[in-house]
Amino acid sequence: MAPDVSCFLLALLCSASCEVITSLDQMCIEKEANKTYNCENLGLREIPDTLPNTTEILEFSFNFLPTIQNRTFSRLINLTFLDLTRCQINWIHENTFQSHSQLSTLVLTGNPLIFMAETALNGPKILKHLFLIQTGISNLEFIPVHNLENLESLYLGSNQISSIKFPKDFPTQNLKVLDFQNNAIHYLSREDMNSLEQATNLSLNFKGNDIKGIEPGAFNSTVYQSLNFGGTFNLSVIFSGLQNSTTQSLWLGSFEDTNDQDISSSMLKGLCEMSVESINLQKHHFSDFTSSTFQCFTRLRELDLTATHLDGLPPGIEGMNVLKKLVLNVNNFDQLCQINAANFPSLTHLYIKGNRKRLHLGAGCLEKLENLQKLDLSHNDIEASDCCNLQLKNLSRLQSLNLSYNEPLGLQSQAFKECPRLEILDLAFTQLHVNAPRSPFQNLHFLKVLNLSHCFLDTSNQGLLAGLPDLRHLDFRGNHFQDGTIPKTNLLQTVGTLEILILSSCDLLSIDQQAFHSLGKMSHVDLSHNSLTWDSIDSLSHLKGTYLNLAANSIRVIPPHLLPVLSQQSTINLSQNPLDCTCSNVRFLTWYKENLQKLEGSEGTVCANPPSLRGVKLSDVELSCGMTAVGIFFLIVFLFLLIILFIFVVRYLLRRRYQHI
Amino acid sequence: MEGFTAVLLIWTLIAPGSSGGSGREAWPTHLACREGGLEVLYQSCDPLQDFGLSMDQCSKQLKSNLNIRFGIILREDIKELFLDIALTAKGSSILNYSYPICEEDQPKFSFCGRRKGEQIYYAGPVNNLGVDIPKGEYQVLLELYTESRATVACANATIISF
Repeated sequence: MAPDVSCFLLALLCSASCEVITSLDQMCIEKEANKTYNCENLGLREIPDTLPNTTEILEFSFNFLPTIQNRTFSRLINLTFLDLTRCQINWIHENTFQSHSQLSTLVLTGNPLIFMAETALNGPKILKHLFLIQTGISNLEFIPVHNLENLESLYLGSNQISSIKFPKDFPTQNLKVLDFQNNAIHYLSREDMNSLEQATNLSLNFKGNDIKGIEPGAFNSTVYQSLNFGGTFNLSVIFSGLQNSTTQSLWLGSFEDTNDQDISSSMLKGLCEMSVESINLQKHHFSDFTSSTFQCFTRLRELDLTATHLDGLPPGIEGMNVLKKLVLNVNNFDQLCQINAANFPSLTHLYIKGNRKRLHLGAGCLEKLENLQKLDLSHNDIEASDCCNLQLKNLSRLQSLNLSYNEPLGLQSQAFKECPRLEILDLAFTQLHVNAPRSPFQNLHFLKVLNLSHCFLDTSNQGLLAGLPDLRHLDFRGNHFQDGTIPKTNLLQTVGTLEILILSSCDLLSIDQQAFHSLGKMSHVDLSHNSLTWDSIDSLSHLKGTYLNLAANSIRVIPPHLLPVLSQQSTINLSQNPLDCTCSNVRFLTWYKENLQKLEGSEGTVCANPPSLRGVKLSDVELSCGMTAVGIFFLIVFLFLLIILFIFVVRYLLRRRYQHI
Repeated sequence: MEGFTAVLLIWTLIAPGSSGGSGREAWPTHLACREGGLEVLYQSCDPLQDFGLSMDQCSKQLKSNLNIRFGIILREDIKELFLDIALTAKGSSILNYSYPICEEDQPKFSFCGRRKGEQIYYAGPVNNLGVDIPKGEYQVLLELYTESRATVACANATIISF
């Protein structure tokens, strides 16, 4: 009987220890030692004892805390950020955060709150951000007003709030963001808005509330940073309600899933009665579109007409001299000239991306935009056999040009002569036809960033990158080199100022030892996703303090003479290589462990060989490659036998020699 | 000694989750629609949660701009939300497609910008193309994710056209 009992005890012990292990599995993730912890989705019913008292940032969402009270978080007095999203909290009792003087952000989103005590939020000295989204609030009196003097943002979205009238003693003087998304607010009265009188530069969000009426003058006195009435059915209500208001930005866009009335020119007359700098009308239909539509837009600095079903803008719009930024993404233009750019002579930023039809650039369509600094023409199916001087005529101040994700472009020498001040040029995923020995980017004296990824370039053209004296950042990923090799003389030799070079996914097999010799300033080299082996590392021997990405290559061994090259770099990524963990690579393996602080992606840096170590992290490999004890034993025995044999031979020879004496 | 073995055996059998099992079982397979010669089944492949989906007016001649009903709890903010679709039939890939649903500069739907922890119910159009579905069985992997590639929803769907 006795053995059975002891066995049972043993089993109990075993299962107990296993429980400990499973609970360890369920532990919070340390994101920053002693400071930041993530305990999401663990079904916890209390703060785990393993969390240190010094925790400042705690992500505790999707756990189970029906009641929170004074002692719930009392140990973690340094908390500054506490996320309690969807913890099924019903009750927040008195003085729950009494000891948390540093708490500045509290997230209570998605909790079925029944009651918050009057002193529930007392304690924090600088509570700045409070999230009460989807907590079932129908009345603003629900929020305890004590200790909200420092509140900067209050998120009240997805509740059942129908009136935004705050209680009299609610402190609003520091409020900057007030978010009422997706509530049931249908009417805004003067009295409602007066309760926010003390707030300055407020951003108010009424998106997803069907506003049916605004009392005239409700928005009169105060200056707003931004007002959002997204998805409102009838914009006339908004325009007439905002008379005499002043706001930086006004968001009046619509959505795929909301019904709205067409915007008529007469509706937009309301804009004359208010002061707005930036307006967004995305996804609306315009019932009529003439030059008079814009008569009240004269003070506008930014206009966003994304996806507004436009096939052109009317000519002869007058008075839009201060418009700086125009967004015409996702419309139906055929020709770039149809936007009648001359209407907007002061434009500095123009965005026309994702046009629904193939966009033809035409000739000189933007030539009146002398001040244009940024132009985005990406995702437009643009095709041109001779780009881009005719198309970008007279854009002499252009600094940033995006032509990525288009159809093939043919580039001649000095293809961007019309925009000599370009600093950023993005041509990613646009096939480029450049005949050797042409140099399309010649004379771009200020170009710093050039994205040529997946451009199907002819890399044997030595002059391709000629004439770029200030280029710092070259993204060349996805282009192919002849025979998968970067030879000694190559197109990179003309860009000696490069600091960041990306050559990933170029199907490279090898790089000549001298290939990067003229590139002495590089601080970031990405050679990942190629088929490089150790012999290409030699090409980096002149670089120091560089970030070096060699992930996803074919590196098996790294011979000892290359270890100094790696040692002199600041960060190295060797993950996803078929690394050898046998004694033939032991010097590298030792180096790896000594330089762990330099290595990135150590989780994915695993052995591929021998089979017994496949998948084991390099940092966990223990190899002893000295001679084994058995080997030493046999060697000694062997030497011993040899000596004996030698003695016998000598004795035999001596005996023969002196036999006759 | 026999007692010991017996106890050990029983313990390994009943000890919860300690025998290296895969843990949680899979979410149930739901029917999104069955009508007009078309059947759409789906299963959530997000280990954390299930979600609800139904499609109106499904048929072999799939109409454009279908209406759906969709209910889920958000595990991430969806200021930026993208959809990946991978369609396969008989083990070979037919189509891979990526589509932005919410972007900072173009929030297409009214739910864009909602926050982690919010419960979402969407009933409305999805802006799809109309297509005739040839007879056969198709596997579709649908993934909704944010700008940091965090999963919002994941579905393994089977479309049977007969």
